[in-house]
Amino acid sequence: MPKIACFFVLTLFSMLLLDMAYTKVYKTSNPRTKIQYLRTLKDKKVDYIFIGSSRVQSGIVPSVIEKKLNKKVLNFGFQAARLNDIYAVLQLISYYDIRYEKIFIQVDYIYNFNANSPIFQFETMPFIHENSIYSNHIKFNPSNDFKYDCIPFYRYCRNDLKLGIREICLNLSNKKTNAMSNEGYSPLEGTSVNHNFPLPEKINEYNNSLDNIQKFCRKNKINVIFYCAPFCKHTSNLDFIAKLKNKIPGLLDFSTVVTDESMFQNANHLNDKGARYFTEFFVEEVLTNK
Amino acid sequence: MLFNSLPYLFFLPLVFIVYWFVNNKSLKLQNIFLLVASYFFYACWDWRFLFLLVFSTGLDYLTGLQMFNAKSQSNKKFWFWLSIIVNLGFLGVFKYYNFFLHSFEDLLSGIGIQSNFYALQIILPVGISFYTFHGLSYVIDIYNDRIKPEKNIVDYSLFVSFFPLLVAGPIERATHLLPQIKKKRSFDYNKAMDGFYQILWGLFKKIVIADSCAVYANDIFDNYESMNSASLILGAVYFSFQIYGDFSGYSDIALGTSKLLGIDLLRNFNFPYFSRDIAEFWRRWHISLSSWFRDYLYIPLGGSKGGMKSKVRNTFIIFLVSGFWHGANWTFLIWGLLNAIYFLPLLLTNKNRDNIEIVAKGKWLPTFKEFASILLTFSLTTLAWIFFRSKTVEQAFIYIKNIFSFNFEGGIQYLSIDRYSVELVVLLLVFLVFEWLSREKEHPFFGKAKDFWAFLVILMIIVFGVYSDASEFIYFQF
Repeated sequence: MPKIACFFVLTLFSMLLLDMAYTKVYKTSNPRTKIQYLRTLKDKKVDYIFIGSSRVQSGIVPSVIEKKLNKKVLNFGFQAARLNDIYAVLQLISYYDIRYEKIFIQVDYIYNFNANSPIFQFETMPFIHENSIYSNHIKFNPSNDFKYDCIPFYRYCRNDLKLGIREICLNLSNKKTNAMSNEGYSPLEGTSVNHNFPLPEKINEYNNSLDNIQKFCRKNKINVIFYCAPFCKHTSNLDFIAKLKNKIPGLLDFSTVVTDESMFQNANHLNDKGARYFTEFFVEEVLTNK
Repeated sequence: MLFNSLPYLFFLPLVFIVYWFVNNKSLKLQNIFLLVASYFFYACWDWRFLFLLVFSTGLDYLTGLQMFNAKSQSNKKFWFWLSIIVNLGFLGVFKYYNFFLHSFEDLLSGIGIQSNFYALQIILPVGISFYTFHGLSYVIDIYNDRIKPEKNIVDYSLFVSFFPLLVAGPIERATHLLPQIKKKRSFDYNKAMDGFYQILWGLFKKIVIADSCAVYANDIFDNYESMNSASLILGAVYFSFQIYGDFSGYSDIALGTSKLLGIDLLRNFNFPYFSRDIAEFWRRWHISLSSWFRDYLYIPLGGSKGGMKSKVRNTFIIFLVSGFWHGANWTFLIWGLLNAIYFLPLLLTNKNRDNIEIVAKGKWLPTFKEFASILLTFSLTTLAWIFFRSKTVEQAFIYIKNIFSFNFEGGIQYLSIDRYSVELVVLLLVFLVFEWLSREKEHPFFGKAKDFWAFLVILMIIVFGVYSDASEFIYFQF
């Protein structure tokens, strides 16, 4: 069956070419994701960087800080981000020599998770062959096996809905997203009433990614401040945060500082009004007085 | 193991090599090897149900022999009914028990009696409807003296369990498949290449067309209450292409795989969406099931004999049974009923066999009348598919009601999958052109440029395929 073998070889070759072409597009086009944007900051200076999950993405308003303190602020909050994702962002900031004054990391119940955010993963996937930060991050998830490394174009096939032909066309046509339109802040609308969000009853003994973050910060003399963003008043098991403070000495606990329910979009996410209020509070409490 | 999965990409070449290059000296070895491969293929889903498959095979094999050797008609009848009852019994327990139970509970609650019967917590063994029908046709054919029973247990087991057709058909007949199994097969390069092309086309239909449509159709059907008429129409059209791409794609892969192994299976689809009326549609859609019902239900019921009244009655029976075969839900029954209603005018006017040949044979384009007929038939079929796709009858009626509210406010709607509802239409038009140009063949790879087209399709499978949200074949659940 030489013809079938020929088709097979041609297919593999095409996959290799396509992989190279897609990667080139993601590397060179105007940023549509936060990671693409982060890569463009090489050797640039930012004053404050906030890293964390959607509770950062929708909870910190860079323009408020800029207006009050005239500082350049970036919000690197990613939906469903876990501590390992935060660790990756921290390493990338260092790898691209982005200069900064302070880094703020939001930690809460994500302390109990030992996984990657699938959403964050889509953003790093095109660059996994570029350096070990990306590849180690992907490998942290056990289901991401050798196929990502060994089969050309497999990463784009497996993530086709996020990284496939449609996204390539949008990149090529310079179609903008709102990922960085507010310096990374993504406002939420609407309010919630009586939303009960239970925090975990128990806290894990240890989180390897947090340990990596702390070691990395010590080694690279990174000025990092850990904090916990607000939860609405109906949140149960709030003593989880007290336990978290034992795990992370110096953690700034803002879990109960927003009591007005109208400032929450849901139990653990501030709406735009709440985010602006909390950011102002944060400026007063952390950035001005201390 | 799915046809569109990586394990199958390794399984098929391995089977192909061992089958042709290791076992090619002996038919017996070839058949034993194919049977082992088929059982392995089936066990990859759930090895426990392999026992059910083996039991069902053994039962039909034995009852077939007993019927043939029976000394009296009553003895023959006993073995016949034993096989029918056990086969349908399994199907009834696994597929229909809970449906009848819940329907009975609903009926009782309707007259004010509350009940809570024991419902089974079981999963449906994959392919049970298909291999049960295989076995039934074999037993019925022996009972009616149309065929003699197969004495070789390996050959018979392979007839039932041949892996390309095991989980979703085509529903084969002993008269067609068994002679091929019993004949020494030698490697035919052209046939193998034809099989390869057909697999390719099947993969394109499944991975590119069906799975892309599924992403949109699922989002629209899941959020049908907030969709405007345009999006709902698109949702129904996407589902029409999803189910066609899914099932005919599966059938193409099954037929192509089988050709690679030197065996021809019954054709299951013949461009049904180019049908000019609903009768033609049913001669072109899931052909092996339609002909099964014709031969083993419609004709035994009297078929077309006995005047128009019995013709109409028998037609309604086979459509309702066909609907019920697809699943234990009222939605499938209504889908069957709708198709019977569509069929009725053709039956009454004796026009159900007007369109036998493929449309516009030997021409580039159809006439306006043909085009209008195709469009009407497609619209009717799509309307019926709404019942097939909906979870409940109520959902289907609301979906249709919302379509006919003619609410186009907001224009093209943005879906929660981060796409506009209309985005897929161009791809479907390209697919239709491919299908139209190859409607007199089995796949679009023919002529001098076939390898160029095949390579283009491979590229399309790689670039446009849906891999992150790849779904099982719809018909596996039946």
